[in-house]
Amino acid sequence: MTINVSGEAAIVGVANTEFTKASGVSELELASVAVRDAIADAGLKPSDVDGMTTFTLDNTDEIEIARAVGIGDLTFYSRVPHGGGAATGLVHQAVMAVATGMAEVVVCYRALNGRSGHRYSSGVAGPLLTSDAIHWGWYTPSGLMTPASWVAMYTQRYMHLAENVQDAMFEIAHLQREYAVKNPAAFFYERPFDRADYDASRPIVSPFKMLDCCMETDGGSAVVITTAERAKDLKHPAVVVKGVGQAAAANMESMTSFYRPEIAAIPSMDIAAKMAYEQSGLTPDDIDAAVIYDAFTPIVLWQLASWGFCDLLDAPNFVLDGALRPDGRLPTNTHGGQLSEAYIHGVNGIVEATKLVRGTSVNQPNKTVNNVLVTSGVGVPTGGALLGKLD
Amino acid sequence: MTPEETKAFEDELYNFVGNSVHGGPRKGHDDVNAAMIRQWCEIMGDANPAYIDAEWAAKSTRGHTIAPPAMMYAWTQEGYKVASVGRPESDGQARLVRFLASKGFTGSLGTNVDQEYFADAKIGDSIFEDSIIESISEQKTTGRGVGYFFETFAKFTNQDGTLLGTQRFRVFQFIPPAQAEAEAPADSGLEVPTRIQAPRGQDNKWWWDACDEGKVLIQRCKSCQVLRHPPRPMCGECQSTEWDSIESTLDGEVFSFVEMHHPRVPGYQYPLIVAVIELAEGTRIVANVVGCDVADVHIGMKIKGQVDQVDEKTMLPQFYPIAS
Amino acid sequence: MNTLNYADVSVGDKLPGLELPISSSLISCAALATRDFEPCHHDKSVAQSMGLPDVFMNILTSQALMARFVTDWSGPETQMKALRIKLGAPNVPGMVMTVTGEVVEKDDAENSVNIEVTGENNIWGMHMSGTVRIALP
Repeated sequence: MTINVSGEAAIVGVANTEFTKASGVSELELASVAVRDAIADAGLKPSDVDGMTTFTLDNTDEIEIARAVGIGDLTFYSRVPHGGGAATGLVHQAVMAVATGMAEVVVCYRALNGRSGHRYSSGVAGPLLTSDAIHWGWYTPSGLMTPASWVAMYTQRYMHLAENVQDAMFEIAHLQREYAVKNPAAFFYERPFDRADYDASRPIVSPFKMLDCCMETDGGSAVVITTAERAKDLKHPAVVVKGVGQAAAANMESMTSFYRPEIAAIPSMDIAAKMAYEQSGLTPDDIDAAVIYDAFTPIVLWQLASWGFCDLLDAPNFVLDGALRPDGRLPTNTHGGQLSEAYIHGVNGIVEATKLVRGTSVNQPNKTVNNVLVTSGVGVPTGGALLGKLD
Repeated sequence: MTPEETKAFEDELYNFVGNSVHGGPRKGHDDVNAAMIRQWCEIMGDANPAYIDAEWAAKSTRGHTIAPPAMMYAWTQEGYKVASVGRPESDGQARLVRFLASKGFTGSLGTNVDQEYFADAKIGDSIFEDSIIESISEQKTTGRGVGYFFETFAKFTNQDGTLLGTQRFRVFQFIPPAQAEAEAPADSGLEVPTRIQAPRGQDNKWWWDACDEGKVLIQRCKSCQVLRHPPRPMCGECQSTEWDSIESTLDGEVFSFVEMHHPRVPGYQYPLIVAVIELAEGTRIVANVVGCDVADVHIGMKIKGQVDQVDEKTMLPQFYPIAS
Repeated sequence: MNTLNYADVSVGDKLPGLELPISSSLISCAALATRDFEPCHHDKSVAQSMGLPDVFMNILTSQALMARFVTDWSGPETQMKALRIKLGAPNVPGMVMTVTGEVVEKDDAENSVNIEVTGENNIWGMHMSGTVRIALP
């Protein structure tokens, strides 16, 4: 028997904590606050929750949060690997649990002291997980050891093949900052920059400048998912999961898939997109807005191609034509994204995607968004979800 | 030492000033000859035809080859005795050094050499060195420790008495800091940060061990002969766990590359270029591109690798541009 | 191989840089080519007993490299007049020394040119600095 999960589950509650550079509290507290507030946003009680899921990278076990928040018995709990590639993987887990009856209300969460605690930009030079050690050992001796360096390697190749890439990278960085400037929750609220600032920003790993890179944030985000049936009676209009896919394409390494015929490509996302479209019956034309994982500016370009909005090599022109702007074809990362709102590993993106469908995104007020795309980090096994209004 | 002891010591020390090193002019073991010049040039990478190309030199202003002026002091060196039995008892400089060492000033460091050249030496010339201990400083404290600078002054002449050149050679003779002597090889002041080592496990140790011996291997499936890198225990094509390896020629081409700016990691040298390199064998490898301007690195660039010792602990393939 | 004319050299001219990987072979072989048989230049255990990680370059080699660096640029008819070298941090295997130079002075009376030369290794920094005086046609 094959189950199509499309329309079986819905996002009914979302929350972010405050985004800071030094939270002053534990990651357990950040996670507990985000989970509590997401449950409240759904109009549910902690005791309604019976499932939880997060990243393998998250430091806080679900049972610790469950105890802190007063969640009772859990019948579903899981973790999704591969860093930011897990973001919509949480939705994937929750939807499967809800659609199969393994749980009725699942909270997806991610909380980190990403600035004041362990910083991902410091690279993999520190204590390594044994299972990863040999893999990273092919790269650390030559100095390739930060997320920026791995993605820059794909980007250099992409710049070799496509035109106007640097201008499109600026457009993405700048546009998202413009969104953040108007988003009071964003870290970079009311702090704009211009092209001269971009050009002058310090090189991190060529071809990336600092303003091509996401921030490092202390904060947490949580999303509550339950059955479409139960969603109907809750506080906010349900945001249904119409399609969700995840994939690890062949010949995959975590962040360093340099051994495929062409590396300026993200085949894992291509597969996930195909799955999500097939489940939902939607096409790219049906999508009104997007939250596209943006650890670094160019990965937005590649994902636009994966999800069928443009050709891979034409993505820079698609972006430069204004497609991602507030009145463009596909307003994207309207919260400011991880470049300018906060870096909560893409889960703040699921929160924003939910708000876009609800009509409560600060940068897209009163706009009808029937369907929205939200994606996970690339370079790793990844995925994405198509969310929309309940039919 | 008490002040009295120091005074007595210094009185004796300063008596060395004016002493001849070799007891007068000393003739070099070998007259100026083409073999020693050619070997010197070969190792120093000096292709100057004035030193090694008789045909060219015959047509040059000089009309003949000359010895590299910077070889001046080489002609009169003591030779292998220095390593086998030590410098002779009669050597005035060695006596000064031994005297200082007997009082604890065992560290020795050449700090400055000034050479002036007045005439060329040519093949067949004999070289004579006449050196004296020219000066000894008062006691000085430097970053190396407490000690004395001494200077030798040498005149170099040929068989005709023509002055070829002069040399002032300044040496600091010092008491090494105590802990440096106790744990010399691990002297923390000299410890060099190294690159982060690749952890070695069952699936990759053989590769890194070969790299330590200067070889870059590519794993090959014994069953279907398909090459794979990075190594893994099973062939993805035929699922065989039997494998051997071939040695890469390290002929390659830049497939993509980045320049690392931030963060700077101790043990790595900047500018730092890391590239995905397509090897002639068809597999790819991630390694540094070195030996060229950062701005010259480009996708498609032809490069040739070799295993270099990049620091005290690390052997790594490094790729150099192929001169076009 | 051409030799530069005195008239064509200006104060401020930069010499083409040289990047020299320092290997055990270079250190030991060059020490022997300069007839310097001090064990610290060819025997690692002796060098280590002096507190260094490995054999280190001898002074006559540093002089040779400084001279070569200049005549590589100025050409074979160069007359070497003087070479003044100040030694800094040792060159040990695994390092890369980058040599740079700049014309700092011209003396019309004897067609001589002073070139400041610096050799820095990538681990410990300044290995050698000094002045080479040459005369040009």
